Amino acid sequence: MPDLPELNPVIHAKLRLAVLSLLTGVEEAEFTWLRGKTGSTDGNLGAQLARLEEAGYVRVKKKFVKRKPKTCYRMTDAGRQALAEYVQALKQLLGAAFET
Amino acid sequence: MEDQTTADLRDRLSLIEAMIAEGRRTTEKWGWTFVLWGLAFYVAIAWTDWGHSAWAWPVTMAAAVVVTVILVSIRAGREAVTTLGRAVGSVWLALGISMFVLFLALGIAGRLADPRLFIAVASGMLGMANATSALILRWKVQLGCAVIWWAAAAAACFGTQSQAAIIFLTAILVCQIAFGIYGMIREGRARLRRGAAHA
Repeated sequence: MPDLPELNPVIHAKLRLAVLSLLTGVEEAEFTWLRGKTGSTDGNLGAQLARLEEAGYVRVKKKFVKRKPKTCYRMTDAGRQALAEYVQALKQLLGAAFET
Repeated sequence: MEDQTTADLRDRLSLIEAMIAEGRRTTEKWGWTFVLWGLAFYVAIAWTDWGHSAWAWPVTMAAAVVVTVILVSIRAGREAVTTLGRAVGSVWLALGISMFVLFLALGIAGRLADPRLFIAVASGMLGMANATSALILRWKVQLGCAVIWWAAAAAACFGTQSQAAIIFLTAILVCQIAFGIYGMIREGRARLRRGAAHA
């Protein structure tokens, strides 16, 4: 029986997983858009995004639009790769669960 | 315990699928711009006809540009940037610049004496932009608008001035105002559906 893969703990948290999945479909997204789509609080989302940024999975860009600060996030290639590997591992684990 | 782990893994897979779909469903709301520009065309045509002013088109178009820029900048940042949205936006921006440069130059040069020329060129360009947008979005209704604009462009070359004017006014009514309202209704329904899905 082949070794079962381990799930990436950075991506495994539900909110971080939701954020990364959302970012795959867009070029970049504003903090408030991510908050609206995930239904999370400012504090929680900020902390999870910081964790993803620390891991190199998202890149943050701060800018001012009409003197108001806007924080935009985009997924990095490393983030895309990590999510693809995570999905692959998830499928393998689910396949193994069905076999047993 | 085993079942609980499997359910958790399935739950995560579903979450990924749902979120990817949610991100892709992000569409910019542009129905209002069709209505705005359709009305601006009507104002400019009416002003030209009844006021006989050379300023009718430049002033109305400039006002429409200002209103569009203000409304777009208000909405900016509320949505995410998608490649699809940027592609479609670029088509319309390029159309606006092309029409502005071409008709301004033709007007200054005094070579817009025959309104049929203006109608044919403007309709042809609008047909091209609508068709490009429709092919990117795979939207048959908008492709229908492109066909109407192309038909208007061809008809303007052969008919009398008043026939060309009627065709142009009809095309504006159908492809700008009616299509814009249809787009707004569609966007409103999509918003309601998403609201219900999140509840």
